[in-house]
Amino acid sequence: MSAIKVEQLEHCYDDRGRTVTAVDHIDFEVEENEFYTLLGPSGCGKTTTLRCLAGLEQPTSGTISLDDVVVFSSRSVVPTHRRDIGMVFQDYAVWPHMTVFDNVAFPLRVGKRQSSSVIKEKVHEALELVNMDEFAERQATQLSGGQQQRLSLARALVRQPKVLLLDEPLSNLDAKLREQMRKELRMLQRRIKVTTIFVTHDQVEALSMSNRIAVMNRGVIAQVGTPREIYQTPNSEFVAAFVGATTFLRGSYVGPASTPGFVRLETGIGALIAKTDKAMVPGEPVTLAVRPEAIRVTEEENLNPLTNSISAVVDIGLFIGEAVDYHIYVGDELIRVKGSPHSRFRRRDKVFLEIPPEECVLIHTPTSAVESPLDEPEPIFDPTVEIV
Amino acid sequence: MTTVLEPPAVAPPPPRPRRQRTGWRRRVTARSVVSTITILVLLYLVLGPLIMLVLTAFEDTSGGVVITPPFPWTSQNFIDVFTDSQTYSVLWTTVEFSVGALLFAFVVSLTFSWLIERTDLPARNTVFVFVVAPQGIPGVISAIAWSLLLNPTNGFVNLVLRSVIHSKSTTGPLNVYSLPWMILVQGMALVPLTFLLVTASLRGMNASLEDAARTSGSGFGTIVRRVTLPLLKPAIIGALVYEFVTVVEAVDIPLILGVPGHVTVLSTQIYNASHPPIGLPNYGVGSTYGGFLLILALLPLIAYNRVVGDSGSYVTVTGKTFRPKTQKLGKWKPLAMLFAWGYIFVAFVLPLAILIWASIQPYISTVSKEAIKRSTLGSYRKTLSGDLFITALKNTLILGLSAALGSMVLAVLVSWIIVRSRSRLRWMADVLAFLPHAIPGVVIGLATLLMYLLLPLPIYGTIWIIVIAMGTQYVSLGTRLTTGGIAQIQRSLEEAAEASGARGWQVWWRVLLPLLRPVFLNGFLLVFLASIQNLTLPLMLYSTGNLVMSSLIYTRWDYGDATGTAVLSVVMTAITIVAALLLRRSSGSRMGS
Ligand SMILES: Nc1ncnc2c1ncn2[C@@H]1O[C@H](COP(=O)(O)OP(=O)(O)OP(=O)(O)O)[C@@H](O)[C@H]1O
Ligand SMILES: [Mg+2]
Repeated sequence: MSAIKVEQLEHCYDDRGRTVTAVDHIDFEVEENEFYTLLGPSGCGKTTTLRCLAGLEQPTSGTISLDDVVVFSSRSVVPTHRRDIGMVFQDYAVWPHMTVFDNVAFPLRVGKRQSSSVIKEKVHEALELVNMDEFAERQATQLSGGQQQRLSLARALVRQPKVLLLDEPLSNLDAKLREQMRKELRMLQRRIKVTTIFVTHDQVEALSMSNRIAVMNRGVIAQVGTPREIYQTPNSEFVAAFVGATTFLRGSYVGPASTPGFVRLETGIGALIAKTDKAMVPGEPVTLAVRPEAIRVTEEENLNPLTNSISAVVDIGLFIGEAVDYHIYVGDELIRVKGSPHSRFRRRDKVFLEIPPEECVLIHTPTSAVESPLDEPEPIFDPTVEIV
Repeated sequence: MTTVLEPPAVAPPPPRPRRQRTGWRRRVTARSVVSTITILVLLYLVLGPLIMLVLTAFEDTSGGVVITPPFPWTSQNFIDVFTDSQTYSVLWTTVEFSVGALLFAFVVSLTFSWLIERTDLPARNTVFVFVVAPQGIPGVISAIAWSLLLNPTNGFVNLVLRSVIHSKSTTGPLNVYSLPWMILVQGMALVPLTFLLVTASLRGMNASLEDAARTSGSGFGTIVRRVTLPLLKPAIIGALVYEFVTVVEAVDIPLILGVPGHVTVLSTQIYNASHPPIGLPNYGVGSTYGGFLLILALLPLIAYNRVVGDSGSYVTVTGKTFRPKTQKLGKWKPLAMLFAWGYIFVAFVLPLAILIWASIQPYISTVSKEAIKRSTLGSYRKTLSGDLFITALKNTLILGLSAALGSMVLAVLVSWIIVRSRSRLRWMADVLAFLPHAIPGVVIGLATLLMYLLLPLPIYGTIWIIVIAMGTQYVSLGTRLTTGGIAQIQRSLEEAAEASGARGWQVWWRVLLPLLRPVFLNGFLLVFLASIQNLTLPLMLYSTGNLVMSSLIYTRWDYGDATGTAVLSVVMTAITIVAALLLRRSSGSRMGS
């Protein structure tokens, strides 16, 4: 039993005669009380997916169930106002002609009849949840951005909906407030226990708040997983590059290493040992993703046969406070490394890069013979840091 | 709404192969019903009369309009119209009349705009108010005022002039019943709106462009010719097209000033064919002339759309307002002030003064001791207690309120379709709502008349036929306002209401309409004001049962009751000026919020 179930959802826009496929047959399921994030670059179809869930867009095809009720299929459509949802819009959509109280009371007043004392009680409860009770009588236009954001959250929660839909609710806030709201929102969601779909293009937001993340690219879901899975074992170059800076190394499979579970690879920076359970044939092309913070810069070579230690030359080291951002060359290839803030390597220093095999993530390239079911044969998003 | 809630246990539909399109399920929702009804109403209001007009033009109506088959189809009307040499002289007079009046209005309006926006003319704000004020005087009343001032036998100015030059003649020296004076009076009537349209864009224009020309050594004349006017071109042409329709459609000034002097333009030709002083109306010929007028009004509009099509390059005309550096008038200041106040005196003070003077005099005379002694409010008592006045006042209120309400409600619905819906009929709503703006009022009047002669609805001869025609005519104006208004309301405000559980009508009632209220009110007052001032439609659709103030004033005048006309005119002007003041307040508060 899942709170939200989406099957083969497709949505096409008609753009002056041209058909734009914004969402391309996606499937996903969200568990009850889960905080589920749709993460992806601009234009990948996150908002469209959310709007389909809310019923603000009518999908071209597919099935959507909310709380085990089919709200959209080829045979039936439940209109937005009959779906048990609360939604927070990116621009908050606070009604300027109402007071804060009236804004929050609206969902109760348009619903089934309730006495005004009950409404009053529920509105104050919702406003208290977001620490806005003292503003109840204010005109909605007289609120700051952060307060409007809380107000629209209170409005979405006042009906105690089964599903909460949030479309980049934090993107219009300044950096500091955003950080604070991130924590408050997550704690609130945990306290009141509501299944939440959260749309964002900010990886930090996604990683820090979610139970699970679905990374979207060009209308399809590239990978679903917990924040750790998404970050540590991305299944494609797109996911690896979108969720944090990554160095990609192309190479090929050579053979098993002396320890089971490890393999030997030949890459642009020499022979490497990586950890994987995948069965491969010699010569098979592979791509390795290595996070900058997984690499250690040392003065001396580490001779342990179960680690990679590669001779390199520092190009530049930029001190950024909590770390040193090193640009290091191995031969002709540039590798970014996040070094300890205490390290003081300089330009042209000869160093060794220590890359633990378990941090070398093998990802499936489009040419890979073996395909995981999650893998989408889509063109690859241009990664910010890439080495070929 | 058709909603099918499926039970939870329903089996998932069989997986469809990729790329298979199910196509749009056609759903009957409240939205689509409202959209469809709105478009049908528009179709009926706009296209119905036009079809009638075309059909009638091909029908032999010498014995009246035939309302049951067999219809006497004929092309005789066209032959009559084309072979009649009068047709060509009327066309030519119409061109002379409209071009002359537009030229006058634009030269005066541009001069005032520039003086007020760009120079150190003293008391600019007061001048502004007085240039716009004549908008409160309906065309029919200003024509009557000028007739009282300048008619050759006992026009006030003529009486004064004759006594000054000791003339023994009983007529002249000036004659308002001639084309040049008609042009002048019509021109003055156009100035307030033209001025408002032009001055808004001059205010929005970035004055640094003029400064740049000045610093590169251009003189004043060169700047106006090479920089200011070219930049204003889109605004000027837009206003020209709009005012052109106003000139060719109106019957008020051409009837009151043109008919006595045998100056006929197309609008009066149509009026005469459908309302002949003697004999039966010939609606077929009238419709043929109506077709001509429609084409004449459409031509500039088509040309305008071509010009506006490439006006995207005028990016410098922004909505930013800041006071540009003002030009010092220097030694020209007295001349500019003389022009400004002289014009205000002639265009506003003089007509109002003569109306008041005539309303308290038993007959027209110059101001003298005896005349002042003769002054009496008796005609006010007499006219205002008459049944006709009460009926007309009541009808005018019904007309103004219903036409304004009807056209604004329709306008909101149409705008919503245009801005918000994804209906495939969007373009149709757009075109249909725009059309009445391009159709001259006299044509709408004639076509509506024909339609309800034919349709078995008990509307013909009542005030409601005027309400329908008026509502149709002003739905364009209303739509222009409400489309802007709805476009300014973020879509997510409506969606948030839906997501909060509000049904379609609750979204309208609790969110959309409250947010639209200022725009709605503003448009309502605008249409109200325009409807009660309009003489063309009440006259085209006139019968004894649907007298309104403007047609009452005209018939009293036609009957020869100068004093009664003057009384009614003063009362009517007072009403419209109050409405105009309300309008100013409502649009003022809109800008404030
Ligand atoms: N009304 C529309 N008509 C036509 N195309 C649209 C419309 N709305 C969205 N699209 C297209 O659909 C695609 C997905 O849009 P969507 O708004 O879902 O993206 P998104 O992931 O929410 O992006 P962002 O992070 O910028 O909000 C985009 O390519 C967009 O151009
Ligand atoms: Mg979006």
